[in-house]
Amino acid sequence: MKELSEVLKDWEAVIGLEIHTELTALDTKMFCNCKLSHEDEPNANVCPVCLGLPGALPVPNKRAIESIVKAGLATNCEIQKRSMFYRKHYFYPDMAKNFQTTQGPVAFCMHGRLDLEVTGRGAAERPDCAFGEAEGLSLASASANAEGLSTAMAQQMREGGETRGGALAGMSGYDTANLALPERHEDGSYTVPIRILRIHMEEDAAKMVHVGGEEGRIAAASESLIDYNRCGTPLIELVTEPDLRTPEEARLFMEKLRRIFLTLGISDCSMEHGSMRCDGNVSLRRRGETKLGTKTELKNLNSFKALHDGLAYEICRQAEVLEEGGIIYQETRHWEPGRKRTVVMRVKETADDYRLFPDPDLAPFDLSDEFIEHCRSEIPELPDAKRDRFEADFGIKRADAEQIAGDPETAAFFEESAAGLSGKPAQAVANLIVNELAAYLKGVEGGIADCGIAPAQVASLAKLLAEDAISSNQAHEVFGLMAESGEDPEKIVDERGMRQVSDAGALQPIVDEVLARCADQAQQYRDGNQKVLGFLVGQCMKASRGQGNPKLFNELLRASLS
Amino acid sequence: MATSFDTLSAAQIAAGIAAGDFTAREVATASLDAIAAREDAVQAFLQVSPELALAAADRIDADRAAGKPLPPLAGVPLAIKDNMNLVGTRTTCASRMLETYESVYTATCVQRMLDAGCVPVGKANMDEFAFGSSTESSAFHPTNNPWDTGRIPGGSSGGSAAAVAAGEVPLALGSDTGGSIRQPAALCGVVGMKPTYGAVSRYGVVAFGSSLDQVGPFGRTVEDVALAMNALVGAGRDPYDGTSQDCAVDFCEHLNDSIEGKRVGIIPAFMEAEGLTPEVRAAVEGAAKQLEAQGAELVEVELPHLDAAIAAYYVIGPAEAFSNLARFDGIRYGYQEPDCANLDAQSSLSRAHGFGAEAKRRQLLGAYLLSSGVYDKYYYAAQKARTLITADYNAAYEKCDVILMPSSPRTAWKHGEISDPTQMYLADLYTISINIAGNGGVSVPLGLGADSQLPVAAQLVGPAFKDRTLLMFARALERGLADASKGAPALSVAPAFAGKGGELA
Repeated sequence: MKELSEVLKDWEAVIGLEIHTELTALDTKMFCNCKLSHEDEPNANVCPVCLGLPGALPVPNKRAIESIVKAGLATNCEIQKRSMFYRKHYFYPDMAKNFQTTQGPVAFCMHGRLDLEVTGRGAAERPDCAFGEAEGLSLASASANAEGLSTAMAQQMREGGETRGGALAGMSGYDTANLALPERHEDGSYTVPIRILRIHMEEDAAKMVHVGGEEGRIAAASESLIDYNRCGTPLIELVTEPDLRTPEEARLFMEKLRRIFLTLGISDCSMEHGSMRCDGNVSLRRRGETKLGTKTELKNLNSFKALHDGLAYEICRQAEVLEEGGIIYQETRHWEPGRKRTVVMRVKETADDYRLFPDPDLAPFDLSDEFIEHCRSEIPELPDAKRDRFEADFGIKRADAEQIAGDPETAAFFEESAAGLSGKPAQAVANLIVNELAAYLKGVEGGIADCGIAPAQVASLAKLLAEDAISSNQAHEVFGLMAESGEDPEKIVDERGMRQVSDAGALQPIVDEVLARCADQAQQYRDGNQKVLGFLVGQCMKASRGQGNPKLFNELLRASLS
Repeated sequence: MATSFDTLSAAQIAAGIAAGDFTAREVATASLDAIAAREDAVQAFLQVSPELALAAADRIDADRAAGKPLPPLAGVPLAIKDNMNLVGTRTTCASRMLETYESVYTATCVQRMLDAGCVPVGKANMDEFAFGSSTESSAFHPTNNPWDTGRIPGGSSGGSAAAVAAGEVPLALGSDTGGSIRQPAALCGVVGMKPTYGAVSRYGVVAFGSSLDQVGPFGRTVEDVALAMNALVGAGRDPYDGTSQDCAVDFCEHLNDSIEGKRVGIIPAFMEAEGLTPEVRAAVEGAAKQLEAQGAELVEVELPHLDAAIAAYYVIGPAEAFSNLARFDGIRYGYQEPDCANLDAQSSLSRAHGFGAEAKRRQLLGAYLLSSGVYDKYYYAAQKARTLITADYNAAYEKCDVILMPSSPRTAWKHGEISDPTQMYLADLYTISINIAGNGGVSVPLGLGADSQLPVAAQLVGPAFKDRTLLMFARALERGLADASKGAPALSVAPAFAGKGGELA
């Protein structure tokens, strides 16, 4: 198979995501008072409602509605005051009523948007031809075909009820003209707007475990177990417009959305445990083509890496099939991370008929302005705003600001550590958090709050770094020591005599001594061998018993040798 | 001298127990005796629950002995339609599908009747999953009309109506999706009320058409029905039913008010409808005159879109029924086909063999009506018709306080007489549009038909949440009829059963 970069020169990948997020922060299920928990014994948290027993009725969880409205506001969606629940029918034991309660043509949140800043190596995935006017045509023609995005959505759009006219009118009239087209900056980075079609509310199904079958699948299983603890868990499904063009953009979108949802505090957003799940829809078309190709739907993209690599593989696979004159079947494919390939799960020969209709047990919603404003007032500072503020107020690098601002706990820790600092010491705090703290946390249980490291310690360590009192190698050592002992880094440095000597007057005699001793290497440097300088710095460090400032040694050596 | 408890209304039973004239256990025992003596001929019950009844009665007697205040229906025997959950009983919906299904919780409406002091004596027969107008589609046995046991009691709440008419209980609960309380009440000569949609909680009542279903009481007097309404709605809206509303009023407060100066609407097209028998028409016209004689003004009203009601009903009802009955797949509970090789076979065969013909017919119809491409043509059209019919009624209520019409176009027919389902559907001609509009309706007995000598009835329907006004008019009709028959109750227990067993010691 060709490389992704080669494929994307000739082919345009049209990617849309469907992202399910369990509202794990809530106490109770979507339509009953059962406890939300992943940890209890199977079927411990069930009642007549979530078991679908005869006569049971759903009552919507108000806090779940608040959560989805917050999610919509934070992703620039229009909040639909009037929407309702629908019943989506399919016969399978994971849904006790044999229908799922979900939303119809009008979701609580419609027509949102997130802007992605794509930087670094990932930015190179989008080829130079995919910018400007050409991209405008691409975006417009992809969304005109947006009905193909998702079978479920297409079904909903064909169905209707009384709201159908309005909703469809809104969708077909959706305008791409006001969106900024992605432009490549000199450093290769670019910003691209990704539109969100909708975010709707639904309930999760039960968990099934197939025993005795192959790889836990139902085929050939001797028995199947059902755990209804998960049945009725409030779930929000976000559907993007097919605006994504590279696996990197898909990964970034997912990351960004996850950071927003974490900041909102509506979910623990664990891709590993399945509380945030992503399906990718991808089709290829020749560059310049305005008609969409046949898409496949990818499942099991349960990490950022899987999302990126699964899409990258699928794009290359489709290109190979198409270039060999084959055709792409509309099918659901499973990403196998171990074998790095996608395999067919099921072929969609005909669209499923879910017999969607408005749920008569749930009255239509009529959200008040007060309710929506109340939700808005509870939204904390979002990651983008926080990133911009960190960059402006503390003078730290944008990439670091983005990473720190994305996690509420990390951001709070940073703000406390960097309080009153800016410029070099603030950047030192950022570096310590992004590198040292992040690495440290991977090795311990729990999060930042209970890892035993105090913001004051990080601030103190950052000051030592900013003052060149210690090297970054020493900082790594001190970080480990302060985490263990809980002591102040200043004390650790002083007690262990680690403080760097940054006094030129004190270091010059060492430089002179080393140059005298290593006359050969000095001569090599003078003859143009720059590399030998590293050896000389090393000799100086050794002579100073590690306490000299390596940067200063470097400068002094250069000056002495010139 | 021993008299049968069936001469007493629910109000009289509660008063007698409170006064110490007899105990709740004596009444419960009398009811169980009457059931034992009459059931062979009536077959109103699918289960009798003597242990639950006697335990409830003993609690009331103990409360009275302890000097505690008694609730308003203390010790009144109650029959419960078998689509309502009550812990300690099976809830079968008269279906093989749920033949052995034990209730795991108690429906709100049932609990509220128990809280009001009612004693649950058993679960009443019905058409399977409430699909029908004759109780003949019960998977277990038919129920006989106490006025002529060769005839059907109406349906789908036929067991509840028959149990009251046969004097086995003074009160019963039924549910009404297209007339399933009012039509059997009419055919059995008892009072039956479908309250406004949202007045009574549906939680725990096995759903047929969620947007149409409403629970209501049967009684032999309007006052008893008013007392039951107090019990059902008095506690306010049910937090377990998102469609229930808070409409608590005292239904007894204005029950005996005069209707002088009030306006009663008559729909001329309804009085001319094909299928309306002369005796029912004559009785309803007589009822109109009776109300007029009490000072009400008769006004003609039109409901231009009424023709669409039955069509809309047979779209919305089956569509919702298909969805609501999808859960019965033999996996978690209910009938499970033995020896199936795989999941598909197990679900399909459990449904094929667990449901009766009418239940399958309605679900197939619903599955078709909701399918892609068909939905717009029928379901969407039916919703539009529903909006128009509701608007028609609202416009009519600008001109009148209540509308008077027949409950059923004819009196009870013989078992097996109507086998064509579409003919059976016409039995609900007068009741369906009320479910479509969501308003309340009450069927009031008008004595025996001149030709058939079987019970005939009038239906009063009113604006949403004006159910108390309906009962006031119903009481006026009852009063007028009692006057006409010189003080005796217009219709009490069916003569073949009156006094048969059930003596109060």
